[in-house]
Amino acid sequence: MSGGRAGAAGPTVLVVEDDDETRAALTRELTTRGYRVAEAADGKTAMRQWEGHRPDVVLLDLGLPDIDGLAVVRRIRREAATPIVILSGRYEERQKVEALEQGADDYVTKPFGVDELNARLRVALRRAAGPAADEVGRIVAGPLEFDGARHEVRVGGDRVELTPREFEILRVLLSNAGRLVTKGRLLRAVWGEAYSREDSYVYVHVSQLRRKLATADRDGALRDLIVTEPGVGYRVRELDRPATLDGP
Amino acid sequence: MAVALPALAGATVAIVVLEDYVGVPNASAVYLAAVVATAFVAGTSGAIVAAVASFLLYDFLFVHPIYTFAVADPGEWLNLVLLLFIAIVVGELAALQRSRTEIAKAREREALALFKVSRELATRESTPTELPTIAGILRQETGTERVWIALGPDDARERAAADTGTDHRPMIPGLYSVLQRTPDDTPARWSRVHQQGQARGGQSVGFEAFRVRIEAGSRSFGSIWALRERARGEPDRTETRLLSAAADQIGQALAQDRLAAESQAAEIARESDALKSALLQSVSHDLRTPLATIRAAAGTLRPGTGLSADDQRESADAIDREVEYLNRMVTNLLDLSRIEAGAVRAERDVYELDDLVGQTIDRLRPRLGDRSLTVDLFAPPVEVDPVFLDEAVTNAIENAIKYTPAGTAIRIITKMDSGEARVRLSVEDAGPGVPDPDLPRIFDKFYRVPGAAGGSRSGSGIGLAVVRGLVEAMGGRVAARQSQLGGLAIDIELPVAEGSAEPTVEATT
Repeated sequence: MSGGRAGAAGPTVLVVEDDDETRAALTRELTTRGYRVAEAADGKTAMRQWEGHRPDVVLLDLGLPDIDGLAVVRRIRREAATPIVILSGRYEERQKVEALEQGADDYVTKPFGVDELNARLRVALRRAAGPAADEVGRIVAGPLEFDGARHEVRVGGDRVELTPREFEILRVLLSNAGRLVTKGRLLRAVWGEAYSREDSYVYVHVSQLRRKLATADRDGALRDLIVTEPGVGYRVRELDRPATLDGP
Repeated sequence: MAVALPALAGATVAIVVLEDYVGVPNASAVYLAAVVATAFVAGTSGAIVAAVASFLLYDFLFVHPIYTFAVADPGEWLNLVLLLFIAIVVGELAALQRSRTEIAKAREREALALFKVSRELATRESTPTELPTIAGILRQETGTERVWIALGPDDARERAAADTGTDHRPMIPGLYSVLQRTPDDTPARWSRVHQQGQARGGQSVGFEAFRVRIEAGSRSFGSIWALRERARGEPDRTETRLLSAAADQIGQALAQDRLAAESQAAEIARESDALKSALLQSVSHDLRTPLATIRAAAGTLRPGTGLSADDQRESADAIDREVEYLNRMVTNLLDLSRIEAGAVRAERDVYELDDLVGQTIDRLRPRLGDRSLTVDLFAPPVEVDPVFLDEAVTNAIENAIKYTPAGTAIRIITKMDSGEARVRLSVEDAGPGVPDPDLPRIFDKFYRVPGAAGGSRSGSGIGLAVVRGLVEAMGGRVAARQSQLGGLAIDIELPVAEGSAEPTVEATT
């Protein structure tokens, strides 16, 4: 369990998972896909591995035998912005949300498919490569044109009337395309720090935004653009999906 | 005794008057009639007084020499003595008859009162709800001012369960009489109790409290209290018997209630054991089947089996499908056990229904096969736990898919209730449906509609139980009814978010 495995010179992923079978399967899978893998079966080993390897991304199971997975998230966040993807069981729902609010980047729910896991890791790594600011200038995604400077949103060339809140929400979501944006993060970014606890109606605003976009979107190209992650937040579909793994 | 005078006076006048018109051959017979009448009204003592008075009057007024008590004719002596004797005997008999009639009436009254009490108890839903009626009957039948029935295992915990009075009282007075009942046939009697320490509440001036304990077996359940005017004295034998019999009946009823509750608890325990083994049977079968598929499919993926790429993909897909099935199954089982342990706590937030349910529907769409799906989700924002709602709706739709033939329609629609406080989300199918008598039970765990086909995999009777548990945990309700499509309709009622119109009011740029 010490040291990264030799392999292709891809990004290093630290797999923290106490179940041996699952960890072995993950390691096998990720190695095949070009990652270098470091493993840890408990929190203490995880921290040692983290110090030793400074991995590019951490895959973290919250239910560890020795220390709380949340503590691992906090510890890593104190030192670095390394992306963290949570492996979550169905009954760790609240813990998962807590971990995301503490700074974890994303999650996959067990049992997960390897494709889903790979997509999450890829997005997390891309974000790490060039951290997206919430400010975006101009984004074009299919029929959608977002122009931050002119405060304008067009779908298929037609202007869509958005409220200031809806506009800001869209800005934050688009600038984090592919990534999970938690409800808390959205509140802080759009409503301001003081509102981060008043979390009602975020979903309602987003639903209205989605409805307006859908009305303007005649051929359905923007269907599922904004996906609700119930209880957690939102994710905007990746706009231009690269076919292969991005480098770190 | 006061009755004797007018009766005898009447008899005397009657004799005098009749003498003038028709003649009275034997005036003593008229006096006898007066004695009998007196006896009926005044009882034995009245009868004797009337008999003696008749004897004297007859002697004084009608026996020569008249207006003296002297008797000239010895034959008249015989007549007089016979009058006295017959008057006493007839008077006694009449008085006896009268008292028998009275006793019979009292008995009938008592029996009727007791019958009313037992009828109340026999038709009871629960004993305490019948107590006010019983207190009313007892008050009326025992001539008391006020009757209250208090329940509790001892004096300190006794609380009024029924009271014919309206002001604030029920209490244990410092001074009262309690009915001492003995197991043998010796009559019960009242005895005074001073209980300064236990007293709760005051003493009413001019009234006295009487207490009959409600007991059954060796258990004490409470007391019947009767408040009587002091002037009326203690309850007579009939009233005492009625109070005592009512206490016995209430005691029996309460003991039966307790027994029924205990045996119901035992029954529930037995049933839950039976349920557990039903669960194990049903679950072990449902879990093993996909495991067998997975093992077989995994085997075909080993190198060297010579399978084509297409076949290998088919095997991998089969594994994915079965794993998803197992995942759903395990999730439902865990949900169910958490619901039963009371461990589910909803984290409610405000959502648009079409947003959440839309995603659930999209996820399940591939499994619909060629069933047609109509969705109409128009509702104000709801306050729900998104994870619970997803699970609940998933199970409702899976249920519709599982029990309906291919090619039929499924409809998911919303409807506001009249008060606009709840929105009803209905999953309707056009399958075989569920007969009316079974509708209320389909949300019970392990309940399967008898004779339901259930496709290739039988249902485990868990899905809809999970729907109910999760929806209720969110403050919602579930119901089942016949669908307009001809099959089953599952209604999920969800709370609408308070002030849900508020956030939509915002200026556009």
